[in-house]
Amino acid sequence: MGKTDRLSERQLTVLLFVSLLSPMIRILPTAAVVFAGRAAWLSPPVALAMAGVPLALTRAARRRANPGEGLAELIIRGLGKVGGRIFCAAAALWLTFYGGFIARSAAERLLATVYPNGGPGIFIAVMLGVALITGSGLTKNLARTAEVLMPVLVAVIAVVLFSAAPDVETVNLLPVTLRDGPGILFGALPIFNVLTAFEYFLFLSGHVEQNGAKKPRRFPWMPTLAAVALAVTFFTLGTLGEALSVSMENAFFMLIRNIRIFGVVERVESVVVAIWIVTDFIFLGAVIMVVSEIWRSVTGVKRRQAFVPPTAALSGAAAFLITGGAFELQRWSDTLIPAINMSFTVILIPGALLITMLRKK
Amino acid sequence: MRRAAIPALAGALAVLLTACSPGLTIFSNYRSLENLELVRTVTADTAREGVHVTICSTAGEKSDARMYGRVGPSIGVALGELIHLPLGREAILSHTENLLIGEAYVKEGLAQCLDYMERFSEMRLDTGILIVRGGTAKDLVEGLTGGETPAPDAIAGLGRIAARIGRGYFFTCRQIAASLAENGCALAMSVRGEKADKLFEDRGELDIEPAGFAVLRPGEDPVFLSDEETWGALMLLGLFRSRNVDLPVGDTVLTVSVDKAGASYTPRFDGQGLAGVDIALTAQANVICMEGDGDLKDPAYREKAEKALEEALRQAAGAALDRSRVLQVDFLDLAGIVRRKAPLKFEGVADKWGEIFPELPLTVTVKAELTRTFDIVDPPAVSKGEEAKSPWEKLTDSLRDS
Repeated sequence: MGKTDRLSERQLTVLLFVSLLSPMIRILPTAAVVFAGRAAWLSPPVALAMAGVPLALTRAARRRANPGEGLAELIIRGLGKVGGRIFCAAAALWLTFYGGFIARSAAERLLATVYPNGGPGIFIAVMLGVALITGSGLTKNLARTAEVLMPVLVAVIAVVLFSAAPDVETVNLLPVTLRDGPGILFGALPIFNVLTAFEYFLFLSGHVEQNGAKKPRRFPWMPTLAAVALAVTFFTLGTLGEALSVSMENAFFMLIRNIRIFGVVERVESVVVAIWIVTDFIFLGAVIMVVSEIWRSVTGVKRRQAFVPPTAALSGAAAFLITGGAFELQRWSDTLIPAINMSFTVILIPGALLITMLRKK
Repeated sequence: MRRAAIPALAGALAVLLTACSPGLTIFSNYRSLENLELVRTVTADTAREGVHVTICSTAGEKSDARMYGRVGPSIGVALGELIHLPLGREAILSHTENLLIGEAYVKEGLAQCLDYMERFSEMRLDTGILIVRGGTAKDLVEGLTGGETPAPDAIAGLGRIAARIGRGYFFTCRQIAASLAENGCALAMSVRGEKADKLFEDRGELDIEPAGFAVLRPGEDPVFLSDEETWGALMLLGLFRSRNVDLPVGDTVLTVSVDKAGASYTPRFDGQGLAGVDIALTAQANVICMEGDGDLKDPAYREKAEKALEEALRQAAGAALDRSRVLQVDFLDLAGIVRRKAPLKFEGVADKWGEIFPELPLTVTVKAELTRTFDIVDPPAVSKGEEAKSPWEKLTDSLRDS
């Protein structure tokens, strides 16, 4: 790991926020409304509370890391050289496939919202091309891009939701009773699933600058992301109602299609989708960067950049493997992807870190 | 890679991948302004071969408003062909304000229209939906009198005033689709063409008029509410803005503008479940004109006027409630109101709502108040040729009488 490829803790947390905005917006509010109905807007705070547990665990584990060590090195130390490497390789393979899924779902979003007559191929190719460039660069460059974009994204969300506010009807959001509790809890699971994806980014934590005894400055990415999830769910559900929200794949983008900003500007969805695509670029670039970092730790090769082109190529192949258009993609998005993701972020990675901590390695 | 390269690259790609860059994009959505026909109104009517669709465009700086029609097996096919065909221009639907559906097409075509509007990325969910009562939507838009863009302008004008004159409300595709999905029924505003003076040689001679709410149910013909029922529904749904009403008060007729009217609901439960719903209607009105010699300074007269207003409001609300129960269609969403007021108790009656609703005891109480007379207490006196008395003479006369 070169000494120049360093980023601050704050930059890593901003990168996390910007990257995870993309899947959060993709699944909300539908994924929560399916379980929680009109009470779905209460699911994000519950998910935030749930995600606090793995967050605390990973922070505790990271305190045991030596300077320059990321999650992969910690796991290899904890599980042993063979076991740890197999574990990390499995995570890298999964993330390579997940990168393909990100590219494919972003392409489908463009097709559904802006280019109904196009095909996904060109979008996937362009996204992977950008990911190849960003993934080959320094981690701090990607993090800096996220830092630059974050205020723009937050401003766009704020303007869109502010413009949607007059259409929000309280009858779509209330009443909420104690009997909605189980629904709210189940509705929190998809959000929790996205929030816990932060663990993958910790494979890059070896690049984080150490400030000695000083407490690192962090961007409160998890509460902010949960607040965005709450706002998106609240306004979309409040505007469209439970039945319509459930019947749509991308209810938030349907909401954007309707937006009139200050009664003057309308049809802003192209601009909003464009901004969202940039978060997909960053997410995909970060995932490919994480995969190359894992392979570097597993193989002991000095430069992770060597692994970026094959990872991008494999992700591209995975993106094209998901055939059948939006139907197939939705099926993957509803079942396989969350199942594998939660296996890693809730069971395998925390389990590996717990073992590392218990073995005091 | 330098620090600035990534944001620049990302920004460039975002522009390249969207419709923001004229003519340069891979799947460019860019369309030259000169070749665009900006559609504002779409109509759909039943036809022997399926559906007849008309699009009405707006007038640009160098072009007149136009109308184009096409018949197809479905609205998707007809509209899809229509937007690419007309005279070398390309119709763009992204700013469509209203969809007018002919009465006869509602039964078979409403669900299809809503689905098309939700799916087609050019259309917006906030497009208003109007049902044309007693005729076809095509005949109405073709027959309208007016200036350069008669149909879109007239419909937009009606949309602005419908709620303010207490004769309707422009429900959008989103509201209708949501109501159908959640309640199995929805209200839509209906309109009809009324014969009027022909203003322009090349235009029609119809005025567009509100024709009450249409009650929509999937796969069924619409049922139309009367003007009074529509007024009642507006108040009960909280959509009421204003309406002028003539009130007979003794020998006089008082015209008031009802500016505020709303309902609050209290469900009553007993041991056996839902025992009824109390509906309290409150309204405020202002005197806007008077015919006859009413004395607005007299509390007794004002009380009479308020009673007359309360009766008018009670009748309107009662008419809407009765119609809803006779039709056995909960278009006023009483189920939703009871559920929101008493969510846990409602669960016990939710499954039986269809049976309970038509027989549910409803108590309507009305409280109306006259709030101002716009600085005119007495109507302007009309001289009958008698010599006007001075204030002193009036005082001595009244003392003598007493």
